[in-house]
Amino acid sequence: MSHAVEVDEKQAWSGGQSPFRISYGKMMMWFFLVSDALTFSGLLCAYGFIRHKYESVWPVAENVFTHFPFITAHIPLAYVGLMTFILIMSSVTMVLAVEAGHRNDRKGVTIWLFLTIIGGFMFVGSQAWEWYHFIEGTATGAMRQVWDIDQGKYVTKLIHGANMTYNEYGVPQFANFFFFITGFHGFHVFSGVMINCVIFINVLIGTYEKRGHYEMIEKVGLYWHFVDLVWVFVFTFFYLL
Amino acid sequence: MSMEFHDDYPQYETMYQHDEAHGKQIRSKLWKVFWLLLAITLVELVVGYQATSWGLLGGTFLKFFFISLTLVKAGGIVLVFMHLIDETKFLRYTILLPYAVFILYLIFIILVEGTYCGYPHNRTSLDKNYKIQQIVLRNHHMQPIPAELKEGVTEKEIIAAEKQAEENAASAGTHEE
Repeated sequence: MSHAVEVDEKQAWSGGQSPFRISYGKMMMWFFLVSDALTFSGLLCAYGFIRHKYESVWPVAENVFTHFPFITAHIPLAYVGLMTFILIMSSVTMVLAVEAGHRNDRKGVTIWLFLTIIGGFMFVGSQAWEWYHFIEGTATGAMRQVWDIDQGKYVTKLIHGANMTYNEYGVPQFANFFFFITGFHGFHVFSGVMINCVIFINVLIGTYEKRGHYEMIEKVGLYWHFVDLVWVFVFTFFYLL
Repeated sequence: MSMEFHDDYPQYETMYQHDEAHGKQIRSKLWKVFWLLLAITLVELVVGYQATSWGLLGGTFLKFFFISLTLVKAGGIVLVFMHLIDETKFLRYTILLPYAVFILYLIFIILVEGTYCGYPHNRTSLDKNYKIQQIVLRNHHMQPIPAELKEGVTEKEIIAAEKQAEENAASAGTHEE
């Protein structure tokens, strides 16, 4: 694309222009995303630390996430693959909305942004479904050693599903990190959908038409792509590795 | 003291606008990146699904394979979808350098320390408990629970039951041969 205009390095910082050749709002969105990405990096690194520490006792995600809606078959990774597809799809509709915004094409922005919102809702719903099945567990269950507070020692019990203190599938830390990181990401998706809805209403009532540019779509687009970016990493480290 | 105000900033908000012909070009590029991301995800899923049967599970190759594909995907999203490649050099470095500095170091230190904590002599009583749990869990959790494992059994009994099951499996194997 042709708008990669490099600035004269000596002139850039002497005032009268943005050295980054970017508007204030977009730059602040980038800086927010940098800090947010550092937070997620910290969480994923903590996850990696604990996982390395308990490598021999860490559950394999393939044996945990095996459900698929309306089918009773045992198909690992299929559902999370679908979730990833939904999120990548909503990412591409978002970038198409941004592109339409660059042409001041109100109709295009409306359609693509609407599809993005639908994708976002589908993803949040999928995550809720995934959580439900992880908490519910299998009918068979597994024998686990859990801390009995009355007896003051570990006792063996039949456990179904996972929560913050015990986990049918393996060490409880797996469930702790799963709930925290996918929950934090899911909350980002949810906020993103809400922000997209606000922007969508603004598009419908013609706020950006009056303003003369659709830069706001770019800003929420940055946030939305960031959410997709985080999912790419969560997907790899929780489900694939 | 005199202050200088700049009311004549360039209109950065409209700088990225383009016409329909240019838009068509951009859209085809975006769809190409989308197909690339989708293809990578499908490859990852197939390899992840087959990892156990191909004997790759937990191996170094698989880790590097998945992490490099993830970085390719991340690059596609950040550079093309988020248009970072179209921004100025200053902004690109401002956004990307913090990771090169902080996160690479964090990953390095965590891998070193995480592995160190995993040494047997460094294990706590909590680790021992997880080991025992793993013995129970080692066979797939979907399998029926062994009759020996009733509620309230002790660690010793679990280990003994597991040993017995292993011996049974071993003797069954020799019979087949």
